[in-house]
Amino acid sequence: MKASRSGPRVGLTLVLAIGALLPLALLVALSVSVEWFYPTLLPGRWSSANWDFLGRGSEVIFSSLWTSVALALCAGVVSSIAGLFAGREIARLDGWRRRLAVALAFLPVAVPPLALSIGLQYSLLRAGLGGRFVGVMVAHIVPALGYTTLFFVGIFAVFDWRVEQEARSLGANPFDVLRRVTLPLLRRPLVEAFALGFLVSWAQVPLTLLIGQGLVNTLPLELMSYVNAGQDHLAATAGLVLTIPPLALLVVAGLAVRRLRVVIA
Amino acid sequence: MRGVEVRLDGDLVLRSLTMQVGRGERFVVVGPSGAGKTTLLRAIAGFVTPDRGEISVAGRGATALPPEKRDAVYMHQTPVLFPHLTVFENVAFPLRVRRVPAGEVRERAGAALDAMLMGEFGNRIPRTLSGGQRHRVALARAIVARPALLLLDEPFSALDPALKRDIRVALLAAHAQYDPGSVVVTHDFGDAAGIADRIGVLIGGELVQVAPPAELFARPASLAIARFLSIANEICGLADGAGNFSSPLGNLPVANGVPAGAAVAVFSPAAVRIGQEGGTMARVLEVYIHPQYTTLKLKIAGETVEAACPLGSSFTIGGETTVVLDRASVAVFPLSMAERDNKTV
Amino acid sequence: MRGLLVAILVAGPVLAGIAYSMLGALGVVGPGASGVSLRHLQVVLADSATWWGLLWTVWIALASTLLATILAMGTAVAFRAERGVDRFARLVAVVPLAVPHVVAALGAVLVLSQSGLLARLAFAANLQTSPADMPPLIYDRYGIGLILALSWKEFPFLALIAFSVIARRGALLEETARSLGAGPLQTFRVATLPALWRGLLPSMIAVFTFVAGNYEVAALLAPSSPLALPLLTMERYTDSALDVRGEAFVLVLLAMAVSLCGVAAHEWTANKFEAAE
Repeated sequence: MKASRSGPRVGLTLVLAIGALLPLALLVALSVSVEWFYPTLLPGRWSSANWDFLGRGSEVIFSSLWTSVALALCAGVVSSIAGLFAGREIARLDGWRRRLAVALAFLPVAVPPLALSIGLQYSLLRAGLGGRFVGVMVAHIVPALGYTTLFFVGIFAVFDWRVEQEARSLGANPFDVLRRVTLPLLRRPLVEAFALGFLVSWAQVPLTLLIGQGLVNTLPLELMSYVNAGQDHLAATAGLVLTIPPLALLVVAGLAVRRLRVVIA
Repeated sequence: MRGVEVRLDGDLVLRSLTMQVGRGERFVVVGPSGAGKTTLLRAIAGFVTPDRGEISVAGRGATALPPEKRDAVYMHQTPVLFPHLTVFENVAFPLRVRRVPAGEVRERAGAALDAMLMGEFGNRIPRTLSGGQRHRVALARAIVARPALLLLDEPFSALDPALKRDIRVALLAAHAQYDPGSVVVTHDFGDAAGIADRIGVLIGGELVQVAPPAELFARPASLAIARFLSIANEICGLADGAGNFSSPLGNLPVANGVPAGAAVAVFSPAAVRIGQEGGTMARVLEVYIHPQYTTLKLKIAGETVEAACPLGSSFTIGGETTVVLDRASVAVFPLSMAERDNKTV
Repeated sequence: MRGLLVAILVAGPVLAGIAYSMLGALGVVGPGASGVSLRHLQVVLADSATWWGLLWTVWIALASTLLATILAMGTAVAFRAERGVDRFARLVAVVPLAVPHVVAALGAVLVLSQSGLLARLAFAANLQTSPADMPPLIYDRYGIGLILALSWKEFPFLALIAFSVIARRGALLEETARSLGAGPLQTFRVATLPALWRGLLPSMIAVFTFVAGNYEVAALLAPSSPLALPLLTMERYTDSALDVRGEAFVLVLLAMAVSLCGVAAHEWTANKFEAAE
């Protein structure tokens, strides 16, 4: 393919960049200002007031951020560990059993969270978990576990089981095999699964709404209330904070892939 | 092992197997694919439980022991090194799980690596090693704890000749270290002959013959074995039940056990002597030149026979020569109808 | 065998939810339950809001999936080289992947609302004099803002796949086509496009299914009439009349059925194209 003139290409890239990054730029601009009315193109007054919650532990954003972090951490830990064992067992299956198991594990991922919350609400309410942190945590784990299980099925599908056999033959008892061979090999996937479960919980809305019943406030929920109330500056700040973990993980994942490519090359 | 029987998915894979491997002995199990060779090895290793029979290693009953407690190391066809450990840590692994103190680990693992000529590679990771290097690391790791038995599953498969030689040398070096017994499984008789003290032929789950390589090749115990060994020539004829076998190539004395009736004489190309006085007339059909010898395809009295002759002899296609059969290298077996038509094992 | 048990455990809550929704739809359990009856079913099926909701939701999902696909294919083809500009473009295209859906919706509000960035740019270019001059792009009947927001959010996912398809097979297909005499446009149509399509179709179905069930973006950008299916479901479920709440279960089952169809379609296309590979 002949090299095309760089003019249009650069122009196209610019359009793409603006399209992809402009909303984020807007968020940043809004979060560092307090007055920005139509029809001005730049904020009227710059201010860091929106970020005060970082220092003083105010009601604004801070408590919902804390709740979101706690929920996502729990969901990440539980779903990654449980997903490992689940994925391993499923990966051991063959034929129709395996297809069925994978389809089952796919259900929590495929069913829309809203439908899931309506279906689950009754049982969780009956168990006394409605409107409580624990209840929302359990609710978040349901889809997160689906994602991590499928992730580990993929990992174990290409896992060389022979290393375990080899270790046994060399004199290691089952506990040693786990400790010295299997778990070290799984350390990286476990971290990745944790990130996956974390993100599933982090951005979750319907499950928190319906199971939390207004008593459990997470950052996405707070963001939505700001949008509905027209409080753009606070909404933008909340939005930026909400975007930080996934963005950070994307960067880390991108670097990891690049490093791998260098090693292979 | 004694009387070991293994059933997999309902099929009897190993039938009442009994065999012994001595200290320092290299015992090679050969057989066609699907004969049960890998199952045999894995039964010794402890990954397959026999339905009947006993196995003992180094004098200790092993039938009830889990793999890690048997004194036998099973090595997969492609070397399985631990990807998350360095070469040194791989070799040190058996010592570490036996809680050997660190100083001793360093010494013994280092010695094993040196014995396998991999002493310089201690800090490398498995991913960066070549095939031959991996085999050597795997062997070093296998011998570092001095197990009584080494079990190698098809170590020569799918390798080029240089690599095969590499592994053969490494295996002999391992034996030189402390005299373990080895059970090696392969489907290639040539590879087996290169390292074996004794060869066991496994066909259909049974050990049909156990003998040193030379004896096996010269006197296979049955037609099936002869066919497996790909002994090239088969001439059909008639046995009279009294010790004679008549064929287009002449009459041959046979072992007493051959009953009257259709029989087949089996012999390798090396058993055919070319250009001898008083031999039978033969016409040269084709000439094949190999690196170390030449093979001729000859037509003798209506039968096609392969004969080997040393490099340097020259023959023309269509020319004539005489041949004599070396009777000591010919085996005669009774032939059933089915066997005559089915040329493969 | 253990694997199946484990899979059932993982799917357990969903299966329980489906069962409960079925019972609720039949009036056996849930708020306003009064014994087995098909009343909820009848009401929902007869309600025009249900069908408008379904239709509208399908329209939104279809439009945003197609738009995202076109953007993804376009980006993959335009920026397929290894030089700096292209790699930067591919990098930038992936950014929306990291942005949570609610934040994407917020972005849409900020840019597309009548007093948003677009409107202000129009004002600066003297194209309008007041917010009311701006045609409504969000909360509008066609869901334009909603479609744009969803496409923006979903296109990196499809773009990544498109990049991989182009990287793996693009050059080969093109060389073959070019050497057989095809011009650039023909090459695209005959060689590149089919490969992209095959690679992307399963994921397009996944995106469609996901978008159709998404609540939060619709909640922030969709109009109140016609009401998107997820919003309709939520409205019914939180209705003050307990009786009406039972109808939500029917809508939930509808949403689940749509997802399961999506999953089936995804599997079928994925297998079909995998076999051909």
